[in-house]
Amino acid sequence: MKQALARISAIDADLTPLIDLAFLLIVFFVLVARMSGEQLPAIPLPKPTDVAATPAGTARRLAVNVLSEDGAVVFTLGGERFLADGSGLDRLASAIAQRLRSDPSVPVDIRADRSLAYRAVEPAIDAITAAAANVGTRVTIRVCALQGEGGAP
Amino acid sequence: MGRTVSDTRIRLAMTPMIDVVFLLLVFFVCTVRFERNEAVYTLDLPQRGLTADPLALQQRALVIRVGTRAADAVSIELQADGLRERPASFDALAAALTRVRRGTAPEPANTGLFLAEHPVLIAPTRECGWQDAVDAFNAAVRAGFRNIGFARSGT
Repeated sequence: MKQALARISAIDADLTPLIDLAFLLIVFFVLVARMSGEQLPAIPLPKPTDVAATPAGTARRLAVNVLSEDGAVVFTLGGERFLADGSGLDRLASAIAQRLRSDPSVPVDIRADRSLAYRAVEPAIDAITAAAANVGTRVTIRVCALQGEGGAP
Repeated sequence: MGRTVSDTRIRLAMTPMIDVVFLLLVFFVCTVRFERNEAVYTLDLPQRGLTADPLALQQRALVIRVGTRAADAVSIELQADGLRERPASFDALAAALTRVRRGTAPEPANTGLFLAEHPVLIAPTRECGWQDAVDAFNAAVRAGFRNIGFARSGT
C-alpha cells in the first residue's frame, strides 16, 4: 500500500511544453481561419491580350467578387454573399459603405467572372458608386484582369 | 554491463522537435504570399455624376460601343465628333485609338484629335461579355488614354 502511494506521488507532469504546443496550435488555427476567410476567391478573370494594366500588388483593397453560381449571379464581399436582386444590392452597397467609412482611401476592386455579361457586372459598379455617395467620398474603382499566363484559373 | 547498455540508449525528445516544427510551420504560413498574377485598371466614372465638378467644361467623350458576341465575332464601333470607325478586332481598336490620340506620333504626323486626358467611355450592350468589355478597356489603356469609364448599358 505504501509502495503504491509512493509510485502515484512520483508522477510528475511537465506542463510547460504542453502549454507551449497548445498556444502554437491556437496561433496556427487562428491564422488558418483568417486565410479561409480570404476575400479573393479564385475567379476566371478576363484575360485581355497584351495587358496594359498595372499589377494589383498586395496592398489593402476591397474586392467585390461577381460570380456565377448555377446560372445565378452572386456578389461576395469579404466572405459575405449578396444576391443580385434589389435587397441584395442594397445590402451590398451598405456593406461597402461600412468598410469605406473605416478607410475611405481603400480602392474597391471589381473581380468578375469573364463569362458573365456586362449587365451582371454593372450593378456592382452602381453599388460601389452608391456607397461612395453615401459615405461622401471619392472612391477609386478598379477592374481586375489576369496578367499573362498562370495565376488564378 | 547491462546497466551501461540501458544508460547509453538514445532517447529522442519529441516535444521540442514538434515545437520547432510547428514554429517553422507558423513562420511559413505567415510569410507566404499567394501571387495571383492579377492586374487592375482604374476606372473613371464621371458619367455617373457623383463626384464630377459641375462647373467643369463638358467634353464629349470618345465612345467605344461593344456589341454582343455572335459567331466568335464582336462588333466594335469607335464614335466621336467627326469620327466613326468600326475596327475588326481589339488590336485594331487599340491601333485606331493610338492614331487619334495626340502626342503618340512625332511631328508633323502628330495630328491626333484627342489628348490622353480626354474622356473615353466604354459602352457595352447589356448582353456584351465582360471579357469583351475589359478587352475594349484594355485597348484604350494601351493607346495611352487615362480617363476611361464604363457607360450605363443601353446609353
